[in-house]
Amino acid sequence: MMDLLSNLAFGISVAATWQNLLLCLTGALVGTLVGVLPGVGPLATIAMLLPITYGLPPVGALIMLAGIYYGAMYGGSTTAILVNIPGESAAVVTTLDGHQMARQGRAGPALAIAAIGSFFAGCVATVVIAAAAAPLTSVALLFGPAEYFSLMVLGLIFAVVLAKGSVLKAICMILFGLVLSMVGSDLETGAGRLNFNIPELADGINFVVIAMGVFGFAEVLRNLEVTHSRDVVNAKITGLMPTRTDLKAAAPAIGRGTILGSLLGILPGGGTIISAFAAYTLEKKLAKDPRRFGRGAIEGVAGPESANNAASQTSFIPLLTLGIPPNPVMALMVGAMTIHGIVPGPQVMTKQPELFWGMIASMWFGNLMLVIINLPLVGLWVRLLRVPYRLLYPMILIFCCIGVYSVNNSPTDVYATAAFALVGYWLVKHDFEPAPMLLGFVLGPLMEENLRRAMLIARGDATVFITRPISATLLALSALLLIIAVLPTIRKKRDEVFVEEG
Amino acid sequence: MAEGIGQPEGRAQATGFIRNPQDFWGGLALVAFALFSLWAGSDLPGMRGFAFGPGTAPRLFGGLLLATGALVAISGLITHGPPLERWGIRAPVLFLASVVFFGLTIRPLGLVISAFFTLMIAAAASNEVRWIEAVIWSAVLTIFCIALFIYGLNLPLQLWPR
Repeated sequence: MMDLLSNLAFGISVAATWQNLLLCLTGALVGTLVGVLPGVGPLATIAMLLPITYGLPPVGALIMLAGIYYGAMYGGSTTAILVNIPGESAAVVTTLDGHQMARQGRAGPALAIAAIGSFFAGCVATVVIAAAAAPLTSVALLFGPAEYFSLMVLGLIFAVVLAKGSVLKAICMILFGLVLSMVGSDLETGAGRLNFNIPELADGINFVVIAMGVFGFAEVLRNLEVTHSRDVVNAKITGLMPTRTDLKAAAPAIGRGTILGSLLGILPGGGTIISAFAAYTLEKKLAKDPRRFGRGAIEGVAGPESANNAASQTSFIPLLTLGIPPNPVMALMVGAMTIHGIVPGPQVMTKQPELFWGMIASMWFGNLMLVIINLPLVGLWVRLLRVPYRLLYPMILIFCCIGVYSVNNSPTDVYATAAFALVGYWLVKHDFEPAPMLLGFVLGPLMEENLRRAMLIARGDATVFITRPISATLLALSALLLIIAVLPTIRKKRDEVFVEEG
Repeated sequence: MAEGIGQPEGRAQATGFIRNPQDFWGGLALVAFALFSLWAGSDLPGMRGFAFGPGTAPRLFGGLLLATGALVAISGLITHGPPLERWGIRAPVLFLASVVFFGLTIRPLGLVISAFFTLMIAAAASNEVRWIEAVIWSAVLTIFCIALFIYGLNLPLQLWPR
């Protein structure tokens, strides 16, 4: 306990320097600014804003990226409430009751409750991360290559099960990502693989290229096709603060959402989406009068928003302690860390404590700033939401272009991004979800390395994965999950969860 | 590929022999990609005793993709689904052209000219384009990018043609 406090105090001392506070504030502000734009989720936001962190020291860069991440999440819920367009999939749930509240002229309380719920959840999740990090890191040190491999299999299976749509197609996407990750030099022998002796491919496909192509550009292409009928709330937003009855109704929902989100966020897979859905379902089940839901029930905003924010923070746990990104956003964080020369994993906490604890403490500051900056700025966001798409997408385009180009100062990366934009557009047209692909792409080299080492240590005996107890348990869990996901009855239930009123 | 066939809108079910064309063609394309990757990696050495060679993992993943892609394609024959979605022409062509233009010109022409014309080409991708507005907006964004990336973040980008 004392350790926890002294570590947190150390982190606060790192995060509370003027420079880092400013970076955290800028990150949260810019993240919200971009996240508010309809159709731009956290993934695209982080991909787009990655270049503004290039020149910063690693601690500052990570603090800023984390700020961008929460900012984007929060911006997404603002859009969901005011325009009924979810900025990202987790905010789908917020549209149900949040937008109804806004239509009844209660956009202010809806936004305030979302902010307060997120702040509370963020505070709790920060402590959860700090408390869980040390024990999990020591567990991580017990892991051998076989365990790591099995854990990654479990993570990928989770991502498949929690993705919406066909399980088979999600597996396909993961394998697609894995194959793409094989391009480049072999880690052990240095032999060039699948690169056709093109020098630009010698180091493999740049992560930023795939992320911006498939998530930034492809998204724009898709948005250009549909004419947006935006239902921006026109009523003037009066009375920001929720009433006493609002608070009384929302408080327990915030508590439940926080607990649910913190737990689900740690699981590998689509933590934030599933926790928002789960929280909404829970609130609806517990409510005395479930018919109020979908008609502007404040619990329907408070629960999912808290859960979603708690989960978005606790999903840092597997990344920081095991070095395994549990979802595509965290995969993007790995990419960002790699650019700054940090290899995520248990060694970060021991070797770079200022980075680890500084980032955790900055999460708390980031959440506080979000509450402070967002509530007074609601009017500004409303105006921003009225900006037509034809003015927005050139901005996205030029940011992505400059961002991709300046990673390596390479025009080839820019062309490759255009190619991946086409791939992303094609995937959407064939109803493939690109997120598992990104996860596969990031985990590919790690999986290969651990698979290779495990096989070498076991002298080619593939049964090592089922004879070592931890590894066997992880694999058994994966198999179980997969079986459950394809069972017809449960599949139907799962689809219902995703379809429900969305 | 048979893109562009089918109704443009609505949740109509596809008719004909291929009842779920999105899955069928999607799976088939992934099978083709897997075969291509297997061919591209065929010269890589495989297992040496019980040690992985450079070619082992690409072959493993490629083979698995081949199998799952085939399953998706087969499921496209036995399930019902929506028809293929029509591909846009104007938006993808002009938008991607603007990206390629940026890559071609950023080095020789510098950020000012490159960014402005990239933005102009991109603006034409939308069918709601208003030309005067597009010129002004492109200029504003170009100035903003210069202020942010060159003066704010000190990225080593060239401003003018060399």
